[in-house]
Amino acid sequence: MTADEPNTSSESDRDAGARAIREPPRILVPVAVLEGEALSEPLAAFLAPSEVVVLGYHVLPEQTPTEQASMQFEDRAQAAIEDIAETFRAAGRDVETRVAFTHDRDQTVERVAEDVGATAVLLPNPAGELRDVLVPIRGAVDPDRLADLLATLLVGGGGTVTLWGVTKPDADFDAEAAVADARELLVDRGMATERMLAEATTSESPVREIIERSADYDVVVMGRGAEPVYSALFGDPSERVAGGAVAPVIVVRDREV
Amino acid sequence: MGTGTDVGAESTNLAGESPEQVAEPTAAEGETTVTEEGSELERTIGLTGGIAIGVGTMIGAGIFVFPGLAAGRAGPAAAGSFAIGAVIALLVALPASELATAMPKSGGGYYFISRGLGALPGAVVGISIWLGLVFATAFYLVGFGNYAAALLAEAGVPVEGVPVVVPLALLFGVALTALNLVGTENAAKLQNYVVGLLLTILVVFLGYGGLDALGVFGAPSAPERFLPFGPLPMFTTAALVFTSYLGFAQVATVAGDIKNPGRNLPLAMVGSVLIVGVLYVVTIFVATSAFGSDPLSRFGETAIVEVARSYFGNVGALAILLAGLLATVSSANASILSTSRAVFAVSKDALVPKVASRLNLAYGTPHVALAMAGGPVLVLVAFGEVEVLAEVASFLHLVMYGLLCVALIAMRRDEPEWYDPDFRVPAYRAVAGVGAVASFGLIAFMQRVSQVIGLAIMLAAAGWYKYYASDVQLKGVL
Repeated sequence: MTADEPNTSSESDRDAGARAIREPPRILVPVAVLEGEALSEPLAAFLAPSEVVVLGYHVLPEQTPTEQASMQFEDRAQAAIEDIAETFRAAGRDVETRVAFTHDRDQTVERVAEDVGATAVLLPNPAGELRDVLVPIRGAVDPDRLADLLATLLVGGGGTVTLWGVTKPDADFDAEAAVADARELLVDRGMATERMLAEATTSESPVREIIERSADYDVVVMGRGAEPVYSALFGDPSERVAGGAVAPVIVVRDREV
Repeated sequence: MGTGTDVGAESTNLAGESPEQVAEPTAAEGETTVTEEGSELERTIGLTGGIAIGVGTMIGAGIFVFPGLAAGRAGPAAAGSFAIGAVIALLVALPASELATAMPKSGGGYYFISRGLGALPGAVVGISIWLGLVFATAFYLVGFGNYAAALLAEAGVPVEGVPVVVPLALLFGVALTALNLVGTENAAKLQNYVVGLLLTILVVFLGYGGLDALGVFGAPSAPERFLPFGPLPMFTTAALVFTSYLGFAQVATVAGDIKNPGRNLPLAMVGSVLIVGVLYVVTIFVATSAFGSDPLSRFGETAIVEVARSYFGNVGALAILLAGLLATVSSANASILSTSRAVFAVSKDALVPKVASRLNLAYGTPHVALAMAGGPVLVLVAFGEVEVLAEVASFLHLVMYGLLCVALIAMRRDEPEWYDPDFRVPAYRAVAGVGAVASFGLIAFMQRVSQVIGLAIMLAAAGWYKYYASDVQLKGVL
């Protein structure tokens, strides 16, 4: 499927928002498929308005050839991924599935995301009912992709979205303007203003603050926010948020240059 | 059990198992292989990783075990022995590269020979290479034992007269096997750093030693006669030290994991042979210039430590001791992993019971194959004969190399439709022909006992094939 194909959503109340979507979002959902990682029904229902690709991966120790593992585990992996696809079908979304055996999870997720043209990647955490969305904006996020994603997921449903500009005190980034822009883009796409909160704060350690605040929300949507040196040591900020937060995190991918 | 397609109803072994096909060997694109059921097999080893596997496997032997032994046999001409080895290794690395880019699958030489020449040569090579790697691993571990013992001696532990080499080697053999059984998360990354560190130490040491020997820092050392024992020992020594060049084929055993195999496989194989070949020749030159071959040979397996001591004092000796420990461990570890892959390759093709390719559910590691690697290694370590271990390992590999060249000629003569290598050997008949003759020829220069053991293993492998899997068809089966 190409990115500019029209949004196929059939529910009429979603059409107003869908019409303004520039690039229909496509979410990659990586699942450690043989480790019993599953996807909750509410999360599937929340993601269902968007196109979804489910990637079942299995990470192997280096001494195990991927071919050897596929001989033994392929059937189980395919069956497990089929179960997850079924969860999405029950929520009204037919998904594309991929299964991969790998020695390196990040390489596989990145490759498949690029391959299928995903605009966002889910970092799973257990989820209950999903209503309130926290959107920390720290600069490193594609505003159009973010707005397309939020509008697609939220316009037809309920719940609120909190646009929260958060930066370090000395950062060269106008958080308030960015939040205002994001709000504008969402309004363009049919998001009701009364469901949006916009605010901006500064923080010495944004990642920690995002993790703390995520406890009051059901899902976090953010950019990858890579800071080259720091990320190599500790992982991307989004990964650190996903590691610390209780809620699932949806990471908006940067456009390939 | 598995999910691959059975190749043919007729093609079964004694237990009724058939070769399994997981993916078309040609279904490899850049970073993945796609199986018949549509699962993707990620390729995660880049060019650096590939070269690290090749260099890491090889460097332990040529620099840290052989200089003393080789100089004792051939004098300064030992440098020529290493050069002969490098030329033969290159002649084989080129055909191996072509076959590997046409069939980038785990299993390496065994896979090419079984598909190109048929199941009987395939079975003989597959089983011999398993045992050949077992001999090689045992050889590296005994080398490690020598370094560990020397380190203890350096630290002042009284080991004089106590046979500590074999117990230390056994201990480490058990430890390495156990480590691989329970999964080592970042072994490959670690391997890259170890190889980088080793190369740095060696370049500093050999650079200084080489300049010194040429007279830059004083009078040039009096050159010894190059061939003190005539030309024959140069060839018998080449047969002995060829073990130092076995590692490039290990790159082919992980071909299924190499990214962009069309480019990276040939570069990694040829590149690692060139790197270690140059280092070996320089090492022998420096070592024989520092001491002369006679005293060098008396230092035995750890001769290079004394060379370092003569240039850099005790600090240099300690650095080379540590480097030797790292190098022999990395060689042994890489060989254990290759062994387990070799076992997997023959078991997938039903030449040995399929239980050998089962994975451990708790750790996801191939525990049966690893046990079939580590177990026999320990028996051979206890045997402790460095030269015989090395030669038998070389013997079994050389047979594979020779047949691999023959397989290339066979493949090219009537090219099957799917045969589409990214890399083609120029003047393939000449390269592969000379490669085959040289590989088989080198065997003739080995000690009688090594030849007998090697031949016995091959005959046993052929006997096993006749008994267990004579109905299995592999030629041209992809």
